[in-house]
Amino acid sequence: MSGTWPYVIAAWLVVLGAFLAYAVITVVRGRSLSRQVPPERRRWS
Amino acid sequence: MTTQIASQSRGRPSGAGDAPTSTGSRATRVLGILTIVAIATLALFGLVLSPADANQGDAVRILYVHVPSATFAYVGCFLTTLGSALYLWKRSQWWELVAYASAEIAALFTAVTLATGMLWGRPTWGVYWVWDARLTSTAMLLLLLLGYLAVRRLPAEPSVRSKRAAIIGLLLVPNVVIVRQSVQWWRTLHQKPTLFANGLDSHIEGLMLFALFVGFVAIGLLFTWLLVHRFRLAWLEEQLDEQGLDLAIAERRAEAAAEVAADTGVVAP
Amino acid sequence: MHDALLVAGKDLRLELRSRVALNQVVPFALLVLVLFAFALDPDRGLLEKATPGLYWVAVLFSGLLALQRSFAVEAADGNRDMLRLSGLDPAGIYLGKVLAVSVQLLTLEVLLLVGVAVLYTTHLGGWPLLVATVLVATAGIAAAGTLYGVVAAGLRVRETLLPLLLLPVLAPVLIGSTRAFEAALGGTPSEGWPWVGLMGVFAVLYVVAGVLGFGPLLEEA
Repeated sequence: MSGTWPYVIAAWLVVLGAFLAYAVITVVRGRSLSRQVPPERRRWS
Repeated sequence: MTTQIASQSRGRPSGAGDAPTSTGSRATRVLGILTIVAIATLALFGLVLSPADANQGDAVRILYVHVPSATFAYVGCFLTTLGSALYLWKRSQWWELVAYASAEIAALFTAVTLATGMLWGRPTWGVYWVWDARLTSTAMLLLLLLGYLAVRRLPAEPSVRSKRAAIIGLLLVPNVVIVRQSVQWWRTLHQKPTLFANGLDSHIEGLMLFALFVGFVAIGLLFTWLLVHRFRLAWLEEQLDEQGLDLAIAERRAEAAAEVAADTGVVAP
Repeated sequence: MHDALLVAGKDLRLELRSRVALNQVVPFALLVLVLFAFALDPDRGLLEKATPGLYWVAVLFSGLLALQRSFAVEAADGNRDMLRLSGLDPAGIYLGKVLAVSVQLLTLEVLLLVGVAVLYTTHLGGWPLLVATVLVATAGIAAAGTLYGVVAAGLRVRETLLPLLLLPVLAPVLIGSTRAFEAALGGTPSEGWPWVGLMGVFAVLYVVAGVLGFGPLLEEA
C-alpha cells in the first residue's frame, strides 16, 4: 500500500500550501491597507 | 510551514503600542497559535498515529483534511447567504462584509476539497474524476461561489455593488440545495449508490475517528482565523473606498468653489 | 398583472419590429445543431441518441443570447430609469419580462424541435411529457435568466458575466429537461415526470425570488 503515500503527501501539501498562501496574502494586504486607514477607523486592537 | 503563519499572525510589535498596523489583534494571535497547534496535532494523528484503513489503505489519511474542508466550505456558503439576507433586511454593512469574506474563504475551501478529493480518488478509484454526485455538486458549488465573487468584486458604487452581490448571495444556498438534489437524482437513477458508501463509513473507529475529530477542530479554527482576518481586510477596503470618495468630493467642491470665486471676481468690478 | 402584460407587450412588439431574435438568434440556434453534427459523426447514430442533451444545450446557449438582447434593450437610452419612473409595479415589470422571454424561448424551442426531428432524424414521441417539459423548463430559464439578467444589466462586463452567473444556476434545468426528454423519447414517460416536478419547483422558487428582489434591484443606480 506504499503506492498511495505520494497522493497522501501531495494532498496534505496542497491543503497546507493553499491555506498558508491565502493566509499570507490576506495578512500582507491587511498590513499595507492598515497603514492607509486612520487608527480610529480600525476598531480592533 | 506552520510556524510561518504564527509569525504572520503575531504581527510586528509596534513600538508605540497604539492601534496595530495589521489585521491582527490579541484575540487573533491566540487563535492563530491554537490553529497551528491543532494542525500540528492533526498531522501527528492523521499521518503518523492513526492506522491505515482496511479498504482504502493510507488514502484514508487524505480524508482527515478533505472532509472538514468540505464541511466548512458549506459553513462559509451558509454564512454568505445569512450575511446577504441580513444585509438586505437590516441594511447592515457589517453583515455584507461577513458575506463577502466568507464567500471567498468558502471558495478556497471548496477548491481545496476538490483537489484533495481528486487526489483521494486516484489511488482509490484509479481515476482523478468520476461523475459522482458529491464531486459534481462540489464543482458546481465552486462555480456558484466564483459567480458571486465576480459580482462582488466589480468596481461599482459600494451600495450598488453590495446590493447586486447580496441578491446573488441570498440565492446561493437555495441554488446549492437544488443543484445538489438534481445531481443526486441524476447520478443515482443510473448507477448504484456512490462509491463513497463503502469508503468512509464502513471502518471508522478509534484513532481514525479521533483524527477526523481533530481535523474538524483544526480546520474550524483555521476557518475562523481566516474569516476574522479577511473580514477586517474587507472592512479596510471599504474604508479606503469611502476615503477615496470623500477625497474626490472634497476636490470637486474645492474646484467648484474656486470657479464661483473666479466668476464673482469677474462680475464684481 | 396588468403591468406585466403591458411590459411583455412592449418587449414583444419591440421584438416583432426589430426581428433581432428572428434574424440572428434562430439562425444561431440552427447553426449550433449543424455544428453538433460536424462534431459528432452523423453516421453512427450518435446524434439521434444524444438528441435530448444536444437539444437543450442548443436551447440554453441561444436562449442566453435572447436574454442578453432583452436587457440590452433596456440598457440603451436610460430606459431603466424610465421603467423605474413609470410607476409600474416592479413585480409586474419582472413578470412581464419573464413572459416576453418565455414567448421568445418557446418559439425558439419549437423551431429547434422541428430542427432535430429533421436534421437528426429523431422520432418525437411521448407528447404530453415533451410539452410539459418544454413549458416548465422555459419558465425556469426565463425566471432565473431575467433575475440574473437584471443583476448583470448595465455593467460593462455583462456579456461575460451573465453566462458565468446563469449557467451553473440552470444546471438543474439542463439535467431535468434532458432526463425528461430522454424518458419521453425512450417511451418511459413515468421516469420523466419527477424531473418535471423538480423543474416546476425551480421555476416557482425563481419567480418568487424575482418578484421580491426586482424592486430593490431596479431602485439602484
